[in-house]
Amino acid sequence: MASLRDIRKRIRSVKNTRQITKAMKMVSAAKLRKAQDAIIAARPYAQMLDQIISDLTTRSGGEELAHPLLTSRPVRKVELLLLTSDRGLAGGFNSNVIRRASRFLYENSGVEIEVSTVGRKGNDFFRQRGQKMRKDFGYLFQRLDYTHASQVAEEMSARFLKGEVDAVYVVYNEFLSAISQKVSLAQLLPLQTLSVGAPTAAQVGQSAPVAAPTPALVDFKYEPARQDVLDRLVPQAVAIKLYRSLLESVASEHGSRMSAMENATSNASDMIASLSLTYNRTRQAVITKELMEIVSGAESLK
Amino acid sequence: MAKLTVEIVTPEKRILSVQADEAIVPGGKGLFGVRPGHTPFLSLMEPGPLTLIDGGRREYYFVAGGFVEVSNDKVLVLADVAEAVTGIDVEAAKKRMQDAQERLRGMSSDDVRFDIEQATVRRETARMSAATMR
Repeated sequence: MASLRDIRKRIRSVKNTRQITKAMKMVSAAKLRKAQDAIIAARPYAQMLDQIISDLTTRSGGEELAHPLLTSRPVRKVELLLLTSDRGLAGGFNSNVIRRASRFLYENSGVEIEVSTVGRKGNDFFRQRGQKMRKDFGYLFQRLDYTHASQVAEEMSARFLKGEVDAVYVVYNEFLSAISQKVSLAQLLPLQTLSVGAPTAAQVGQSAPVAAPTPALVDFKYEPARQDVLDRLVPQAVAIKLYRSLLESVASEHGSRMSAMENATSNASDMIASLSLTYNRTRQAVITKELMEIVSGAESLK
Repeated sequence: MAKLTVEIVTPEKRILSVQADEAIVPGGKGLFGVRPGHTPFLSLMEPGPLTLIDGGRREYYFVAGGFVEVSNDKVLVLADVAEAVTGIDVEAAKKRMQDAQERLRGMSSDDVRFDIEQATVRRETARMSAATMR
């Protein structure tokens, strides 16, 4: 049986661990809050972009919207962008996306796949396994802003247009709520739908906007020309999609770490409770034993 | 007199939503003014200064990239970047421009990042020139 001193040491060490996990949980909660705010702040733009896109579509009078980034072609080369985090201790956050990515690689072993990453965890994993890596965009985490995210999207689009890749996929953790994330594999290029998928007013709990009267079709002017607007709108939609995935991934990371640390903290508490019990039992046993020794010693002197 | 409702949003957040008499926007074909009753249209935007005039008071913003939609006296500015000219950090802009120029040096014009770096140079140059309007 462990000595009293050993148990005391264990308790102290578990208490230290609990303190750390508790602190990490609080930090994650604060970061999660910020990440959620960023997602909410990004909504008006996405809604308005969707509005413009749907205006453009309805006003086109049935004319097909055509753009190279919307056009699919036979797929020989694929780029897979993996969004993970730089740090671990976030529950299944990283391993879930990595598992999904591995499955993707396995299922599509017929085509040439290059992996690009955002975040050190995914990069480390695939590099160690000798997977062909293209690029790590880890610098995005230094300051996650739209400018840098859109540059990554532009780079992907440029490669797609030049024929260096035939499709680009993103695998990331979709943010459902603070305690639940879902691994999602989305096709970034060729773009399947122009709509950036902003949540509708009802979904975000706002009152439905008053429907604006549809302006007369003939009156609407484009500057310089309709096609020029479309030429900019499509890459923009790609960039917004990527930016959103990044925001969601970051929020998921903090959410996931928060619950992981919450669990770790309560596990540590359970452990401390059971160790304390053992400690007290042992202590009692020692006292009892000593007492018995004294009593039997005194007895033998009679 | 009727007023315009001007909204500036970026992918990161809503910058501004105000009423104004007139807005001067850096469009795809140069600066253009919008007053109430303007014909509805959708234009591209170039990096440049955006001026709001309200009751003789002028406010300047820097916007880069994106779209402007005008309809029903509503001016919707969807910019990649937008900030009040008073908030521009000229030193940082200059550094970003120089860094991009540095990377452009020796880069072939069909590098996938060539257009990106060029856009950065254009944007930061326009940002610095907008800063002089404060």
